[in-house]
Amino acid sequence: MIDFTKRLLKTPQGAIGIFLVVFVLLVVVFGPLVAPHDPEKLSPLARYKGPSLTYWLGTDQYGRDIFSRLLIGARATVVMAVLATIVGTLIGALIGTASAFLGGRADELIMRTIDAVMSIPSLLFALLVVNLLGSSTVNALVAVAIAFAPGMARITRSVALSVRKQDYVNAAVARGESAGYIIRREMLPNVIAPIIVEMTIRVSFAVMLFATLSFLGLGAQPPAAEWGLMVSEARRYMHLSAGILIWPSVAIAIVAVGFNLLGDGLRDALNPRA
Amino acid sequence: MIVYTLFVVSLIVFAITQVLPADAAVMMLGENATQEALDALRATMGLNAPIWQQYLTWLWHVVQGDLGTSLRTGQPVGPVMFEALGRSLLLAFLSIGLMLVLAIPLGIIAAIRRGKVADMVVSLISYAGVALPEFVTATIAVLFFADWLKWLPPTGYVPLTEDFSRGIAHLVLPVCVISIILIAHVSRMVRSELVDVLHTDYIRAARLKGISRGQVLRRHALRNALLPTITIVALDVGYLLGGVIVVEEIFAIPGIGRQLIVAIQARDLPAIQAGVLIMAATYSIVNFIADILYAWLDKRIQYD
Amino acid sequence: MLEMKRRFFLAGTAAILATPSLGFAQAAAPAKGGTLKISVDQAVSVIHPLLTRVNPEYLVTELLYSNLTRLKVDMSVEPDLAESWTPNEALTEWTFKLRTGVTFHDGSPFTAKDVVATFKAILDPATASPGRNNVGPIADIVAVDDATVMFKLTGAYADLPVSMAYTSARIIPASIATGDLKSLSTKAVGTGPFKLVSYEPDRLIVVERNEKYYDPARPYLDRVEVQVFPDISAEGSAMMSGDIDIVSTIQPTEYLRLDGSDGVDVLRTPSGQFCNINFGCDTAPFNDPRVRRAIALTVDREAMVGFVTEGFGTEGNDTPLNGSYQFFKGVKQREQNIEEAKKLLAEAGFPNGFEATLVASDRPAVRTQLAVALKEMAKEVGITINVQTMPHATYLEQVWKKGSFYVGFYNMQPTPDGIFKLLYTSDASWNETRWNNKAFDALVNEARGTIDTDKRTELYTKAQEIMNEEVPSIIPSFFDVLSAKRSWVSGYEAHPRASVFRLDYVSLTADAPKRG
Repeated sequence: MIDFTKRLLKTPQGAIGIFLVVFVLLVVVFGPLVAPHDPEKLSPLARYKGPSLTYWLGTDQYGRDIFSRLLIGARATVVMAVLATIVGTLIGALIGTASAFLGGRADELIMRTIDAVMSIPSLLFALLVVNLLGSSTVNALVAVAIAFAPGMARITRSVALSVRKQDYVNAAVARGESAGYIIRREMLPNVIAPIIVEMTIRVSFAVMLFATLSFLGLGAQPPAAEWGLMVSEARRYMHLSAGILIWPSVAIAIVAVGFNLLGDGLRDALNPRA
Repeated sequence: MIVYTLFVVSLIVFAITQVLPADAAVMMLGENATQEALDALRATMGLNAPIWQQYLTWLWHVVQGDLGTSLRTGQPVGPVMFEALGRSLLLAFLSIGLMLVLAIPLGIIAAIRRGKVADMVVSLISYAGVALPEFVTATIAVLFFADWLKWLPPTGYVPLTEDFSRGIAHLVLPVCVISIILIAHVSRMVRSELVDVLHTDYIRAARLKGISRGQVLRRHALRNALLPTITIVALDVGYLLGGVIVVEEIFAIPGIGRQLIVAIQARDLPAIQAGVLIMAATYSIVNFIADILYAWLDKRIQYD
Repeated sequence: MLEMKRRFFLAGTAAILATPSLGFAQAAAPAKGGTLKISVDQAVSVIHPLLTRVNPEYLVTELLYSNLTRLKVDMSVEPDLAESWTPNEALTEWTFKLRTGVTFHDGSPFTAKDVVATFKAILDPATASPGRNNVGPIADIVAVDDATVMFKLTGAYADLPVSMAYTSARIIPASIATGDLKSLSTKAVGTGPFKLVSYEPDRLIVVERNEKYYDPARPYLDRVEVQVFPDISAEGSAMMSGDIDIVSTIQPTEYLRLDGSDGVDVLRTPSGQFCNINFGCDTAPFNDPRVRRAIALTVDREAMVGFVTEGFGTEGNDTPLNGSYQFFKGVKQREQNIEEAKKLLAEAGFPNGFEATLVASDRPAVRTQLAVALKEMAKEVGITINVQTMPHATYLEQVWKKGSFYVGFYNMQPTPDGIFKLLYTSDASWNETRWNNKAFDALVNEARGTIDTDKRTELYTKAQEIMNEEVPSIIPSFFDVLSAKRSWVSGYEAHPRASVFRLDYVSLTADAPKRG
């Protein structure tokens, strides 16, 4: 484990990724505690203000403090994205493993169906699901999770199948180890690792997807400080004050790049050859 | 296989449109319709039949090439959707073209110069590419290149047949915006594939045999590394079709993505069904072609 | 150097000499010809002239069809297909003299028969025309002769000539009105200043000059292209780059952006357009007028004008009338009063406030802004408002006219009677508040049969007082109608009604770019 962490930190991606993700997680945990202003407090006299000592990043169209909104919105944005990814991964992993385990006709049928579902672009799929359920943060989460599941199912299945064929598994079988031991000690660690890598990268996609749903009016509900919603609302006011658009965009970029870097770092660390 | 895909998609989309919170008859007659008028329309539209029967009727019409009539405009859905698809495909092909021209060289450079400055720069580009959703990059691009620099027209669509140069000028920004994420993704894939290939025993052996670096790269490594790129690009078409939805909305391009958004907003059920089906079919066909291409090239490489 | 100066001087003289005559020519007769590009922010889904529902659709049918009358920019009525009109003493019968020698786009002549058939179609419930409740209390309509029609009304009604200008009361040929009425969904047969060339609902509608229009001078333009821009920011960019000549309606934020931009003129006119908070007056807790008044008292109206209109609007007083309407006299302005609001809530049995969900559809975006601002203001008296946004189609289907707490958005109507009968009387077309106040109904009904201006104003003021006291809906602010055009467009004015455009009076000056 220590060795692994060392390897991870040795790659520039891993190091920067860890730094950014830890930073984001700190904001998620402590952000609301240190926010200087009430994120929903309207100030008719302080609208569209630039950065100042009172408002570090300026104020938005209602005179709300952008910095406080970012700090508080981190939970709505990052936690939702991570949750949606985890749920999507779990569903996908379940389907994928089941398919690999069942094999034969069933595997074929499940995978063909998964392919069919994947032929609907994930954004469109999420869009349909949210329209079906009504727009709210929770429904957006469900939509993103459902949109991610087929892709994760494919990946899980292929990883599970390839691991099953590996020499060390065969060796373990030859040694006469029990199935439980093989799955636990030999297969699981090797299946989980690539999935975690994929999951990490997908978190950044989830953030984007949430933001895009908000842009289309189907994500979080105002006056929530969800970053995607902040950016999409800001598009109408950006000509009056660029900061309203820029700061939440920067926040989204930090999360997206952070999780991407971390994912790549993890991949390199797990697979020392590449 | 495509048939099965479309069958599953048709089931999904029909199910979704059945439970969408909207009444097709109300959508068609508007809010001022009387109850009698609604009942009469429901009967003529067959909305009172059991669901499975409605599904089969719809499917039968679709198989015959009749995608239904728009509840919103009263025009047939099929021709409108296919015309829109044409515009979207133009956008998509140009984006893929731009992506291939940029992403493959970038990926190769990064792989060869692994760990060097060039690699870093390419990484930086690819991370920047995935940092923001399209609607933000599109907004910034319009602000910067159209509003401030005035190099390009901001939005709108001009058919190429009407005015070629203006048509192209209007396509530059949307194509760039769509390609950014693709370039980021594919250049990384090319890099990692090539790095993998360069580490194989087979390439090492070739190098030991005294074949020059450049020759190894050209004759062996690239071919093996670029092959999986075909599959990746084909899979990215799904992402591309999603991205098209947002980009068309912002740049006012009357493509299939925009048609779908309008249809979803207006609860125009036949249009939603047709749009999703057409998108899924496009994706499946592209992937089918990619599979054939892959198999064909793979064989050639083996025999080479 | 000298040479240059001299040339410059000569050129200058020539220009000075040329200017007066040019200026005079422009003032006298606008230049003919050219293609005008005008943008709209929503798809033109419907071009059936009796079924249109939103402003971009009204714009297109106004180009292609004529009404009996039309609304000038000062909201007064002028002749269109009707040349003159007279009521009987009791205001229950109106006779309209029609223009003669007018032909439809298909060449058939326009007569009184077409008017009768059109109005019968509008009034037929099976047509489901939004005009049905807005063209006045028509009992019957008869063709007296080829050039005269008479409307028999169910009661006295002074505003019939204004109702004739209603945006979906366009005159269509009798042959279509009694025949294949649906065919107008894809083609256009009107008497309007322009003829339909092509129609793509989500992209582009093209019309060209009707050479046989009844006024030989108009229209001035050869062609009008109506372009659909789904994204308002993109629409503003297209105006700045000169890709379009007129933005039919713009949001305050885009107005501020375009103001001062080279070659762009921004247009602004006060209006009775508003966004309101509707209460279901038959549903607890909103069935108690004290609760409604309490919420109205939490509203800081000056701040609200800023939040929802960026200052391009005026304070509202919870009645739908303002200075843009005829027969208007203000009642005492309601100001924010938190103490009073708390007192009223306590009296109503909610000393600690309550929780409610306020629905705002996503179009136009200002609905959400109003909801978010109200949420914060109502917090002061302990009322917790949860804002719920939804796609406009879902809103129309599930909430509009059915919900008990939601944000509405309405164009200015041509008359006070128009807006009261649209939304607030017991027999209103869209009685969304279910307020059903008998005293108020009686006042509005009396006013519609009153010709005397002072008397009418007094009746409407009394009606406003009842409304202000009872608050069936909170109207925190009115919007100015905002628009923008390139400087090379002349003759275009923003109309307070927001759904009237009068593009047949628009022309392009010599500075306009030449377009195929």
